[in-house]
Amino acid sequence: MFYKPKKAVYSQISRRRFLELGGYGATMLGTGSLAVGLNSTIMSTRVQAQSSDDAKWKQFAGSKLVFLSENTPPSFAIREKLKYFYDLTGIEVEILTDDLPVVQQKAGIDLRSGTADYVLQYAQDKPIGAPFADFYADLTPMLGDETLPQDPEGYGDEVWFESFLDACGRFYDGDRVIALPYDAAIACTFYRKDIYEANSKDFEAEYGYRMEFTKDSTWQNVLDFATFFKKKKDAGAEGPYGYAQHQGAFAWTTQLDIQRMCFANGRWLDYDIDDRLGSRTPGATNWGDEQSVLILEKFKALADVSHPDNLANGTLELNTVYQSGNIAMQVQYHEFAASVEDEATSLAAGGKTGYAPCPKGVPDWIRNGGEAVNGTNCGIGGIAINKNASEELQRAAYIFAIWSTSADNQYEVLKGLGGTPTRKSVLQRPDVIAAQQRPSSMPNALTFEPVYDFGIKQPNFVLGPKIPKANEYHSIIASTTQRMLAGELSPAETGAELKSQLDALNEG
Amino acid sequence: MTETLTGIDMSVRAPEDRFRARKVSTEVEARPLSAALPPPGRLNPAARKAYYFYLMAPAIALLAFISLYPFFWLIVMAFQKGDMGAVEWVGFKNFIDLASDDRFLSGWVLLFRYSAMCLFLQVSIGVLLAVVVNGSRYERFLVTALLMPMMMAPAVAGLLWLFLYNGTFGWYHWIFHSLGLLGSGSILSSAKTAMYAIVLVDVWQWTPLITLIALAGLKRVPRDQIEANMVDGASPFRNFFAIVLPNLYPVLLIAVLLRFMDNFRFIDHILVLTGGGPANATKILPVYLFEVAFKFFDLGRGAAIALVLLVVTIILGKILVGVFDRPTAGGR
Amino acid sequence: MASRDVVHYNTPLQRVLSVLSVVFVIFYLIWTLLPFVIMFVSSFKDLLEAFKLPAVGDWAGIGVFFEFTPTLKHYQTLFAENNFSRYMLNSLIAAGGSAVISVIFGSLAAYSLSRVDFRGKSDLFFWIISTRMAPVVAVMVPLFAIFRSLDLVGTLPGLILAYTTFNLPFAIWILKGFFDNVPYGIEEAQMVDGATRFQAFRSILPLVAPGIGAFIVLCILFAWNDFLFAAIIGSGGAKTLPVATRELVQPQNIQWGAIMAAGVVTTAPMMLLGLVIRKYLVTGLTMGAVKE
Repeated sequence: MFYKPKKAVYSQISRRRFLELGGYGATMLGTGSLAVGLNSTIMSTRVQAQSSDDAKWKQFAGSKLVFLSENTPPSFAIREKLKYFYDLTGIEVEILTDDLPVVQQKAGIDLRSGTADYVLQYAQDKPIGAPFADFYADLTPMLGDETLPQDPEGYGDEVWFESFLDACGRFYDGDRVIALPYDAAIACTFYRKDIYEANSKDFEAEYGYRMEFTKDSTWQNVLDFATFFKKKKDAGAEGPYGYAQHQGAFAWTTQLDIQRMCFANGRWLDYDIDDRLGSRTPGATNWGDEQSVLILEKFKALADVSHPDNLANGTLELNTVYQSGNIAMQVQYHEFAASVEDEATSLAAGGKTGYAPCPKGVPDWIRNGGEAVNGTNCGIGGIAINKNASEELQRAAYIFAIWSTSADNQYEVLKGLGGTPTRKSVLQRPDVIAAQQRPSSMPNALTFEPVYDFGIKQPNFVLGPKIPKANEYHSIIASTTQRMLAGELSPAETGAELKSQLDALNEG
Repeated sequence: MTETLTGIDMSVRAPEDRFRARKVSTEVEARPLSAALPPPGRLNPAARKAYYFYLMAPAIALLAFISLYPFFWLIVMAFQKGDMGAVEWVGFKNFIDLASDDRFLSGWVLLFRYSAMCLFLQVSIGVLLAVVVNGSRYERFLVTALLMPMMMAPAVAGLLWLFLYNGTFGWYHWIFHSLGLLGSGSILSSAKTAMYAIVLVDVWQWTPLITLIALAGLKRVPRDQIEANMVDGASPFRNFFAIVLPNLYPVLLIAVLLRFMDNFRFIDHILVLTGGGPANATKILPVYLFEVAFKFFDLGRGAAIALVLLVVTIILGKILVGVFDRPTAGGR
Repeated sequence: MASRDVVHYNTPLQRVLSVLSVVFVIFYLIWTLLPFVIMFVSSFKDLLEAFKLPAVGDWAGIGVFFEFTPTLKHYQTLFAENNFSRYMLNSLIAAGGSAVISVIFGSLAAYSLSRVDFRGKSDLFFWIISTRMAPVVAVMVPLFAIFRSLDLVGTLPGLILAYTTFNLPFAIWILKGFFDNVPYGIEEAQMVDGATRFQAFRSILPLVAPGIGAFIVLCILFAWNDFLFAAIIGSGGAKTLPVATRELVQPQNIQWGAIMAAGVVTTAPMMLLGLVIRKYLVTGLTMGAVKE
């Protein structure tokens, strides 16, 4: 199979050699370089155990770390606070913020070439964690190590929201933890209460039930709503579309978009593997079975009555469509609430938007005998440490990792730029509880009830598929379902095509 | 000098006869680059050479370093398979796999289709524009206005057009929709139209280059010939096809080759606008390579694709250089 | 005058053609310039105002495009919050540095190549230019490895070297054309008068100076507009304008106003430079194959 256990150290080294040779060659050619080696240096000596707390924090004073992060709120907010970290530890941290695809590229190159330019990395669960899990340091020996400072809350599964540590930290085996939950994007439903109310009468006359959105609303309801608005549009009325999909250029969110519907109906999964840990050898895919083809049909039916720009709108663009008032509902990541509630950029602000869990499965659509659930998925960004770095640097990086994911910091980020906490204790703070009701000083908190109290709980939450080739997997799903939506393939053909491509992928 | 030059020319000399008839004009427009005017060095040739080699050494060394090492790296990687830190030699497997990789094959088809559309539009509009603008009272102003798009970074141009094409608030979308060219879905939202979207951006940016090149060519079209023809009662159309166009061929050929090669090099605007989608409709080969190398991190497959792409580029480059040198070969 | 009249007799066909050509030019001008106008105007609009469009087909409603209260806040965002002055400086240093280095090394190499003859010269020459033609994507990973081992990733010197990979071959190629056009007799005469070889070389520099100046500008243009190198090798420490502009597409908000403003900031200097070297533009962009 494609995965070779790490016995192949020999060839690994030869590659590193090979890369280094380039460096030596360059030096010989005299293009002006000074040194070949790590660009981060450790100046200090290691503290032997239980001296004072202050000494534990300060033991790596003088070292320098680079943190490669996605450009999401926590990193912006934490960048503002780096001075405090420096005062506390004497460690200098530089935070680079990039678009996720760019983070992916840079992280991949860094890890693959055996280097540690970026000692700390933002490891978004499937796009980065799944392919590179083996390149990140195992944090378990450091968690609770008495010679290092530690978070008073600890790092057990119970201090984070359900499944978060699994999502970004554990890949393929349960023993290693490669990342701590740093920020989170959980899908939930955003809908325009005002528009629903205005149309409820007409809708009820036609469909026999009220137009409203609750945790029991199903994908069938979404289809009905979308059909209703589409008909009005076709009749020439002004107003929004009922629904829109995330089928734009970014493959990962495109895959998540269809995964929600698949999982909601019978908890269907792409592979028969452990959803939390994933697998290096996922085997044959379930795409193409009766259940998946039926959902593809429904997905296409929904697309046909949705906003016409589905294939151009990624998550971001879709949110803009919602902000501009052109759709009455979207399934969106809860971290977007802050931008939706911003009066300066959004027509959906000011109490017009309601938040609910993701739509539920429809019993009639289930062929595999499974349960109908509110299929909810996520992107959990973890903070991970590059294994290529020296042990000292890894330990210095660990200090930053626990500091940046501490409850205090998460609370500050939520209050400031609108982040999304990953530690449960943040939600118990009085002003966070208060912010879950309007008027809210932290708009993201408006989503906390449907998300943290419902969406991420079992049986609704789906994490996978965690497979090493996750990115190509996403790309194949995205382009093939797009072909279906564009009318090139029927749902049955799409299922078959997915099966053949994915099975070839996992064999190669 | 001449020996080595003909060495290159041999390979591309075949269609040369087509050009011989127009030698007069090509000689002026396509400047001989690899032919020195005076035959240098009747003075102490041996001692001189060393001196010149010292002068060129730094540049050559720098180039060698930044081009040869990556090249050998690609060759080595192309015969390896690397996953999750382990590497093994796989012989030609990466290349063999490409032969059955639909995305690779359709990448070529799309690259050629994209290039064909871009070049057809750029050349036809560009030449027409040059003919119309040439000699106009406002030529200077017009040319200045025209060349503006070329100055924009392709990535920024991609963002600008993403804004213009947006189905919710984009003005170009509104225009296309109002003209009935599009339905309510934006141009990027359909696999059928997305290719046109990226072609339009390329045409917007680079048609002016063709116009400028054609203008340079037009200045050399022998006026007396046209006038004589006109006196004979030839229509403007006949003039264009009989006299003007043949004179433009050599420069246009160069322009076309250059633009074609740039399509291999510059994918910034495609990455910004569509990322290759929807439904792979705009995943031209370099975009697929980008995906394999930087998203899937399948370095073996990426290196194999890159090598194939490099070989094709080198062949195109040979042809291009052959065209550059052609007037010289014709005999001066 | 008389002969003109003979040539430009006015057939109906010609009159139609001239009307058509005026219409064509006007359309083309609109097509070329409209994106700039929209970019420029939108950079002064608030997001919600930028969302305003007339109803489909309502051509009379085009006026809404101009209905807005101009705001400078996007430009303020760029420079106050986003450090754009720093990115601009980075762009300038990286582009300018690589242009100067390329032209210095390039002119030495070009001059030598122009003056000396040896076996395999045309192959060497082809190899030089082929390094510029190679698709960047193809060689990015190994290049990154080299730059990494030299500690050049994320630094301005690194970016300068990266841009030199495409500017140097370009400079050699173009400048050789210039030197070819300078007769060797000038140097010969100088040397007969007792000048050293290097003095002779310097003596012909003024003859090619205008060309060299123009090509410094062209090299700046190429480097300034680059995206891939800047994104991957420039990384965090040497962020340039196109990369910074792209980054305004943020996960939770595409800052369209700021992007348009950044577009103006990135493009305007190059347009001015483009006008300055207008004469050499065609020569440069066709790698010297076509001369105006």
